[in-house]
Amino acid sequence: MTTAGIDPGEHRSVAELEDLAYELRRKLLELCGTYEGAVHIGGDMSVADILTALFQHGLRVDPSDISNPNRDRFLLSKGHAAVCMYIAMAIRGFFEYDDIVATYGQLDSAYGMHPCKVQLPGVEASTGSLGHGLPLAVGMALSARGRGEKHRVITLLGDGETGEGSVWEAVMAGRSNRLGNLVAIVDRNRQLMTSFAEERVMFEPYPDKWRAFGWNVVEIDGHDMSQLVDAIDSLPDTDSDVPTVLVCETVKGKGVDFMERNLAWHAGSLNPTDLERALASLDASRTKENA
Amino acid sequence: MPETFTFGDMLSARSVIGETLAAEGAKRDNLWVLTPDIGATLVEFRDTFPDRFIDVGLAEQACVGIAAGLAYDGNISVVSGMLPFLSMRALEQVRSDVCYPNLPVKIIGTHGGLVGNGGSTHYAVEDLSLMASLTNMTVTSIGDPVMVGEVLRQSMEMSGPIYIRLAVGKKDKVLYAPGEHDIRIGRGIVARDGSDVTLFTHGTTVAQALDAADELAKEGVSVRVVDMWTLKPIDAELVIRSASETDGRFVVLEDHLTYGGLATRISDVVTDNGVNLTSFERLGIPQVYAGFGDDEELRNKHGYGLSHTVDALRRAVQAQEATR
Repeated sequence: MTTAGIDPGEHRSVAELEDLAYELRRKLLELCGTYEGAVHIGGDMSVADILTALFQHGLRVDPSDISNPNRDRFLLSKGHAAVCMYIAMAIRGFFEYDDIVATYGQLDSAYGMHPCKVQLPGVEASTGSLGHGLPLAVGMALSARGRGEKHRVITLLGDGETGEGSVWEAVMAGRSNRLGNLVAIVDRNRQLMTSFAEERVMFEPYPDKWRAFGWNVVEIDGHDMSQLVDAIDSLPDTDSDVPTVLVCETVKGKGVDFMERNLAWHAGSLNPTDLERALASLDASRTKENA
Repeated sequence: MPETFTFGDMLSARSVIGETLAAEGAKRDNLWVLTPDIGATLVEFRDTFPDRFIDVGLAEQACVGIAAGLAYDGNISVVSGMLPFLSMRALEQVRSDVCYPNLPVKIIGTHGGLVGNGGSTHYAVEDLSLMASLTNMTVTSIGDPVMVGEVLRQSMEMSGPIYIRLAVGKKDKVLYAPGEHDIRIGRGIVARDGSDVTLFTHGTTVAQALDAADELAKEGVSVRVVDMWTLKPIDAELVIRSASETDGRFVVLEDHLTYGGLATRISDVVTDNGVNLTSFERLGIPQVYAGFGDDEELRNKHGYGLSHTVDALRRAVQAQEATR
């Protein structure tokens, strides 16, 4: 899939993308050890591989030409993972990582807990309240279709977020309007803020719910970079009739043993000692996966 | 004995919307029209520009979100529907998806006030309060069906959002002759000039206000009727001027809760500018769920019908000037 006018960027191997995902996680933890307020580190870590696959591989975007009409549009529907997106965009060249660290959450910073397009050009939409990204993406996909543009509109949702009724309104609208240029990615980490998802909300059989609404459903391991790359590279043609959802099985807090599947780490901050522990755990998990 | 009429006849007064949008759509290839299954007023646009007409079915939240997504991408979106649902069910989308990024999404609809015998699920009686509280939102309420076209045309030139509340159904009266008034967003209309008392109103009750002014004229009382059809930004200059030109006597009549709508916005102007009034009375919907009945019956029941308006104007002109 190529889009006129936008260089897809360097062709990176899966191993290189894995290195960039590690770098993203490391920077996330460092920010969590710098900022005194809470960072949504659990949900950030669960989408680090997805956002790496998008910003360092899949998305046709150009940091030096953020208004190019042919760019792919990416909307972070789960806006609380903003830090992960900011850093992924910094790695791609949109922003300076040091600026993010220096100003995050400060008065007049462009980098806040939830992304704001007005404050931070390059971000495609102001999000944060859950269940808003997919309707916005449907609108952008309709716009692209209406103009005959060939780019994709991709939005990343949390699985808990898909409890919002507005998501399913947009799921129906996306299919009804035959938006093959529309892609939803679900971070299926199976945790809500204060409970494990299935204990409170019966999401399963989850992919079948999307199938029943007529979407093209692709189920992958959201931490397996080769599966992510394959899924993104295999998306149907933008002129096709059926929107696609990538249901990505993930682990909230992925990469740090004491954060993984731990309800306490929906959000938090790290003192220097725990930052060292977290970074050591990240390194250990990486060594294990490379073995 | 009822006369035969159909759903199409009931909505025929709204054809000005469809015709205006179709004309604007021909000039602007970035104009989209969206509706949650309330598309009867939009047929001219739908039939002319089917690719830019989106009916999402019964899904107000997605409708407004999709409209915002289109507007993010350089389009102008018009969302047409029933206001109780657009103003409440989709309120968060209006606030966070439209107003926060200040996008050109134009929300237009019917069922503002106690209209249509729908019951309280189908009356928008809080909508002007809700919309006026949103940063970046322009808020209007229009009683003259022909004027709707002019306001829609003007709204196309605005970079941000607008809320347009309409009178409903076939009872609409054409209030103003073409060119009679300078219609500009943010400017009130002096629908009838007068010197003894000012009656402020908007939308569905403008016609009633003019009838009340006729009654008072028979008693030798000169009532200024101000159609304050833009509630936000309010025409503060006209409010202040009317205080001095009508002896500080104000009555506000509206098909909305008496608190949070036009009366509140006028009282804000009065307070913020240190305007001295002789009298101030609000006529509108009290804090009740209003029940069923036709428009006129409901206004009479809830204290803002024609006779109530006439009585309030009489009280206003009889009020003694406060000792200052």
